[in-house]
Amino acid sequence: MLKIAKDKLPQLLQAWAAGARVFVPQEKDGTRVFLPWDGQGKLTLDEGNTLEPPKDLFFPRTETMYRYQVQGQEAGVTEVPPFDAKMVLVGVRSCDARSFAIMDDVFLTKGYVDEFYRRRRENTRVVALACTEAAPTCFCTTFGIDPGRAEGVDVQMWPLADGYLLEVVTEAGQELLEQGTGLLTDAGKEEIPAAAKPGLVVDIDGVTAKLQRMFEHPYWTAVSRKCLGCGACTYLCPTCHCFDIQGENRGNSGYKFRCWDSCMFSEYTRMAGGHNPRPSKKERLRNRFLHKLQYFPERYGKFACVGCGRCLDRCPVNVDITRVIREVKEVTL
Amino acid sequence: MAEAARVNPLVPMTGHIIKIVEETPDVKTFHVTTEKGKPFTPMPGQLAMLSLLDVGEAMFSITSQGPEHLELAIKRVGMLTDALHEAEEGQAVGIRGPYGNGFPVEELKGKDILFIGGGIGLAPVRSLINYCIEHRQDYGNLWIIYGARSPADLCFKGDLFNNWPRVENCRVDVTVDKGDASWQGHEGFVPAFVEELQPDPAGKVAVTCGPPIMIKFVLQSLEKLGYKDDQIITTLEMRMKCGIGKCGRCNLGSCYVCLDGPVFTLAQLKQLPNEY
Repeated sequence: MLKIAKDKLPQLLQAWAAGARVFVPQEKDGTRVFLPWDGQGKLTLDEGNTLEPPKDLFFPRTETMYRYQVQGQEAGVTEVPPFDAKMVLVGVRSCDARSFAIMDDVFLTKGYVDEFYRRRRENTRVVALACTEAAPTCFCTTFGIDPGRAEGVDVQMWPLADGYLLEVVTEAGQELLEQGTGLLTDAGKEEIPAAAKPGLVVDIDGVTAKLQRMFEHPYWTAVSRKCLGCGACTYLCPTCHCFDIQGENRGNSGYKFRCWDSCMFSEYTRMAGGHNPRPSKKERLRNRFLHKLQYFPERYGKFACVGCGRCLDRCPVNVDITRVIREVKEVTL
Repeated sequence: MAEAARVNPLVPMTGHIIKIVEETPDVKTFHVTTEKGKPFTPMPGQLAMLSLLDVGEAMFSITSQGPEHLELAIKRVGMLTDALHEAEEGQAVGIRGPYGNGFPVEELKGKDILFIGGGIGLAPVRSLINYCIEHRQDYGNLWIIYGARSPADLCFKGDLFNNWPRVENCRVDVTVDKGDASWQGHEGFVPAFVEELQPDPAGKVAVTCGPPIMIKFVLQSLEKLGYKDDQIITTLEMRMKCGIGKCGRCNLGSCYVCLDGPVFTLAQLKQLPNEY
């Protein structure tokens, strides 16, 4: 176990930044987001999780895929190569670390590998930061996530009053910490601080089976009544992965990019000719919750929710997935 | 233009429309090929993502293929299909695929097949009809029941009135919702026509595609005639962007129509949410 003093952490980030792009939670416009470390920013590692999840580092909001030229009846396509730079993500909480495994299932399995995602993911080292305090909206333990130790990361950190404890998890993590020689000291008798205990806990047992029988239930009309269809929940969700493919055309040439999309929008499923299989917010909200709690478990064997609480914290009308889970369990069929 | 192999499965090949056949006032069949020949060799019922690079991209069924080209029959309904209908032979396109499961050609071997199509819904079914005709000895009797709004709206008239009726043990019955002065054939909706013709379910599989409202009533008619859920096959349409089960929008429950469909038996569909 190693330790780094709080005032030395910027130097460690600097050392990593020499060989990779380092992303770490920093203050921006009064909130906390993962930003590239340039040595100047204000770190917010001790202030709870970021407003936005780090998913855009593997699955950017917009990502150009190819360029094209059209000349009369001729056309050519030039593929944009995948992003190949190395990245280090520092300060990833256990909930967001779980979300990476969920996104891996989507982008790397079931017949097709998304090369853009794969390269970013494989070229990235993850340094997790344990939570010792839970926000009122945190409910990661509901999904068996340990706020004190993240899954699938390279280094695990714990906050101390005057610094951080660091534990190597993988070989790549070992290499990272070797770059911090001189900054890191032996942790000696320092003890791992107690993990946060989220007060919000929901019983998720049997919810998938219950939902399998609830597709036609009037509950979805009731719960969707207040939804504004703004899509904030999907943009802030670390596991929402829906995307659109769009183009930008200028004269004879242009480029095609993929960008985040949201199942909360009516355009999302509307077909040419006008037919829409999910015509109202009832069908759309139902699909979102069923996707998280039924469809994803059926397809990939795990829930597509990590209990980060961002959606319930930021929903303008307080649609609350923990409440939905509780109510679903109570609904009589 | 020479093309490098694709790293990203979402990037299309470029090719050209080499022939355009006007089927009806709002349906044209586009023959597409690339410099290297046929873009790919789909199985019946599979899909292709076709694009006009400076307009957009959408998923279409592949209605037929030749040794060097694919055929996509496309109805004019939106922005991209408008532009396609304005295009001329020689137009460059993007194409990627094939996507989806296609029809269960192996399981259908040895069976009689009843095809029921309405309007442009004949397009995906036609890929299977032609496959069964090419592999005639593998399949039993073929019976095609097809309808459209008017005589002018009948797609694939050459097949309906010339090619298919000449195939051995292949019966073709055509109806229109409303005939015109010169129409000598049957008048009436497809589901009622099916009930009138009474195709016996014994040893048969029914394959149907058409407008959602037609499918709904055809399924009721087939049930009335005694067809079981696993004897009925249909192929679905959904808005799609990726075609590879990742972009999210074409899900029916935990199935993705682009990957696990578009072909489903009625028995399978009844296990899935009714959201198509």
